[in-house]
Amino acid sequence: MNRNLARVVATLLGALAVVLPALAGAYPLQVARNVMLYMALAITWDMLLRSGQISFGIAGLFGLGAYASILGVIRAGMPAWASIPFAAAFSALAALLIGYLILRLRGMYFSIVTLALAEIFRIVIHNLHDFTGGPEGIVAPAGVIFGGSASGLYWLALVGLAVALGASIWFEKSKFHFALTAIRDNEIAASSSGVDIFRWLLATFVITSGIQGLLGGIFVQSYGFATPDSVFSADFTLLPLAMALLGGIHGTVGPIMGAVLLGVASEWLKLQMPYGHLVVYGIIIIIVILFMPRGLYGLARKMARPAEGRAE
Amino acid sequence: MTKLRTERLTRAFLGLVAVNDVSFSMEEGEILGIIGPNGAGKTTFINLVSGIIMPSSGKVEYKGRDISYMPAHERARLGIARTYQLIHPLENLSLIENVMVGSIFAKGNGLKTARAKAEEVCASLGLTGLDRDTSKLTILEIKKMEIARALANEPEVLFLDEVMAGLNSDETRELIAQVQAIARERKLAVGVVEHVMGVIKELTHRVIVLEAGELIAEGPYEEVSKNPRVIEAYLGGAA
Repeated sequence: MNRNLARVVATLLGALAVVLPALAGAYPLQVARNVMLYMALAITWDMLLRSGQISFGIAGLFGLGAYASILGVIRAGMPAWASIPFAAAFSALAALLIGYLILRLRGMYFSIVTLALAEIFRIVIHNLHDFTGGPEGIVAPAGVIFGGSASGLYWLALVGLAVALGASIWFEKSKFHFALTAIRDNEIAASSSGVDIFRWLLATFVITSGIQGLLGGIFVQSYGFATPDSVFSADFTLLPLAMALLGGIHGTVGPIMGAVLLGVASEWLKLQMPYGHLVVYGIIIIIVILFMPRGLYGLARKMARPAEGRAE
Repeated sequence: MTKLRTERLTRAFLGLVAVNDVSFSMEEGEILGIIGPNGAGKTTFINLVSGIIMPSSGKVEYKGRDISYMPAHERARLGIARTYQLIHPLENLSLIENVMVGSIFAKGNGLKTARAKAEEVCASLGLTGLDRDTSKLTILEIKKMEIARALANEPEVLFLDEVMAGLNSDETRELIAQVQAIARERKLAVGVVEHVMGVIKELTHRVIVLEAGELIAEGPYEEVSKNPRVIEAYLGGAA
């Protein structure tokens, strides 16, 4: 019953996503693009969180992908479309090297190191002025991908979201689910059952970072330019995090719910009070952590559970 | 056939030598008791042979192969499994999923095969209601689940660290019978740490006695329990 309901909701949402460009104008489509971007980032953040590792490095790998994409076009002459998978590969490779060093850290130590990533990349790009354009940023001479067509950009963002969604569902249905949950619950028990903890964490970090790089590529090609301060903005770390926390962590559904709610709410709030929406985000994070650590989805499941019990 | 042996195995924590110069072996089909007073180094010893900690010196051999510094997950794949004195349920996985973990990662089985194998192991321990959350299980069921998870590794050597602790006498009797049946069926070498001497007496073929990290006696329980050094270790020195 419950599963059927979920299937119906998922089908409706999927159908809405597909028909939206035919129904909506440029502004709603841009809002939808934004929501989908943050939703995808929230999902990838949650995927690593399922192993118990809290990363603050989203903006770092996202921004790295963004620069890999735009520099790939400008410096290496790549077609814009090809620079997007290149961005994914670049962030994944960076994550492989970084992960090899930092995935032996746990808890707070891991989190703090990931927090530094965006700042490190930002400073490097600032200083490699001749290659990266420095603090002023860099503009793609050919402009925005698809000539800036609103529906083209929408489809591109939807592809990015589909990749994140697909990966997350695959994680839930494969050995990743068992490996990551076992690592989160008890590393000693996991290793006694043959789980190679480091390898599974590294694989997860590389995959999620690759998707974050892909999204960075999509983002930058949708605007046709990048500045260090825009693509490494803390927004790309904090907003997905707030969305996943609000919706519910350790699964695919929570981040989707959180992203729809917060994404739409923040568009509205931005109009009411520019910059003020960040205050609302902060308040939401605090309230969620204090009063509903399993998020809205967790709350809904808790309320649904007695009903399930009666049905059995 | 010797499954597992150690040679002069030693582990020091700063100044404290928790396991000191211990040499022993375990044979196929043998149930070995590991006893000694609190703080004798029994759990440290199991941690050393299962790879949770590494030795300061000495050697661990599994079927003739030196595994002294091999990480725990690789030993699990080779065929060494264990349970923990303090229970380690994976609380965000269901009962059956807990057991599947051993089959998936230690044996490399796919999810379907792992589920079938896990169901088999659970049945041999009389576990039912396999899709329950671990929070819904009784202490006996959790202990059995942890044994099942270890058995899902399809090990040749199994260590049980105080699995009977906290069980009443009926539950203990039930579990002893099941452990004996499983060990016989699978030709396991089993190492058992227990504080209840009745359990040791009934379950084991042979015991080793540790005191302050050293192996002080070895042999059948009846023999060892009369050894004056062992009596002294348990009761304290005669004034």
